Amino acid sequence: MTVNKRNFIVIDDNKLDCFIEQKVILNTGHSNEVTLFLDANDAIDFIKNNLPGETEEKNIIIVDIQMPLMDGFEFVEAFENLPPACQDKYQIYMLSSSINESDLSRVRNYKSVKQIISKPLSIKKLTALIE
Amino acid sequence: MTAPEKIKILYVDDEINNLVGFKATFRYDYKVYTANNTSEAYNHLSQQPDLRVVFCDQRMPDKTGVQFFAEIHKLFPHPVRILLTGYADIESVIEAINQGHIFRYVKKPWIDAEILSAIEEGNRYYLINSMIAIKNEELQEAYDELDKFYYSVTHDIRRPLLSIIGAIDVAQYIDNIVELKEMLHLMEESVKNLDIYIQNIHDYYNLKRGELIIEEINFDDIINVQKNTFDSVIRKGDIRFVVTILQHEFFRSDKPSVSMIINNLLSNAFKYQRNGEQDKFVKLDIKIENGFLTIIIEDNGIGIDKNYIPQIFNMFFRATTGEIGSGFGLYNVKHALTKLNGLIKVDTTLGTGSVFTVTIPNK
Repeated sequence: MTVNKRNFIVIDDNKLDCFIEQKVILNTGHSNEVTLFLDANDAIDFIKNNLPGETEEKNIIIVDIQMPLMDGFEFVEAFENLPPACQDKYQIYMLSSSINESDLSRVRNYKSVKQIISKPLSIKKLTALIE
Repeated sequence: MTAPEKIKILYVDDEINNLVGFKATFRYDYKVYTANNTSEAYNHLSQQPDLRVVFCDQRMPDKTGVQFFAEIHKLFPHPVRILLTGYADIESVIEAINQGHIFRYVKKPWIDAEILSAIEEGNRYYLINSMIAIKNEELQEAYDELDKFYYSVTHDIRRPLLSIIGAIDVAQYIDNIVELKEMLHLMEESVKNLDIYIQNIHDYYNLKRGELIIEEINFDDIINVQKNTFDSVIRKGDIRFVVTILQHEFFRSDKPSVSMIINNLLSNAFKYQRNGEQDKFVKLDIKIENGFLTIIIEDNGIGIDKNYIPQIFNMFFRATTGEIGSGFGLYNVKHALTKLNGLIKVDTTLGTGSVFTVTIPNK
């Protein structure tokens, strides 16, 4: 089965996690570009100002829930206020080091979020999502 | 020396002569309030929330003492209730005691010694109850704190561990030595930060549970320890560390607390440096004069957003991404200063640097 390559945006305030997530994505072999952000504010600016071209598959955003300044949920809220044409290009997966019920039910309110994944991200987990 | 404040007691009786006699006898030792009907008694109860003992006659025109006590049992639960009555009413007294409305009774006509012993016993009971209330509050605080620690252990301590597990997993797919080394370096940072975090929890508990030990403080000692602690950071980051000490008098305080305050503020100053700054510096000014220690720690680092300043001293609050902080440091600083009657002030501009000024009175 062939899978089209996709662009990824990773948002995680922890440098090591950001590094791991980048390596995991690159090693799945399904990625074109991986763009990293330590601060979700910068990611929103980037997404707003860089509308991706037409692709068959949606671009993927992987965002950590627990971050200072702007956390994962605040990021998703800001994302869902972007123009629909921009939102349509992406699907969001949220990362968490401790998944609890309230996070799971909260995530159902956001149409742009596909799923919450428990940290650490691994090649196995990511491959299962994409294929 | 001022005499301790007199215990407040209230006596309710419809016979004025009894009230006058009671007050005349006990006013030297107690602050006595009297009421010749229950509505007057209610006034006293609401105006004097620290009334400790209430005496009430059983036979009054509008209601019995037992009825009155049953009412105030709910509305004013704190004062201890003592009934004054003759033998004829013994059945209703027994019932009232069994229902918990009254603490004890004194038979009429009273002897002074019995009233005195009733007040003393009642007061003791009152104090024990208040102490239990205070202990309950402390317990509640301790529970809340435990909740915070539960959260901290499951989130903040687990997070770096998960990072390392993730790194180990990914490392198996990486053949490039340079990349592997970069990852090892990040893993090392993760482990070190976890260690600092645990050290901070240790500081927190020392502060919380430990007594202050006031001694003369030699600042040269403290500075030497700090210079050693930050030596590698200073060299790696090419940061100028300038220390001045101006000591006009001996200074006495709790040394571990003062060291911890200086260490945390310095650690922040070194950690939040600005990349690209040509002349990175951290300045530490220590001045002891006119009964006060003033510590000024200045850096030309990243500064703090004005919006976050009200929150920076809260537990687990972090105003930055990138650098890993525990969210504990400034909380511990603030907490220690509260114990030492000290103050902290921050003057900061985003992108320019921060100045923290601490003042601590000499003990």
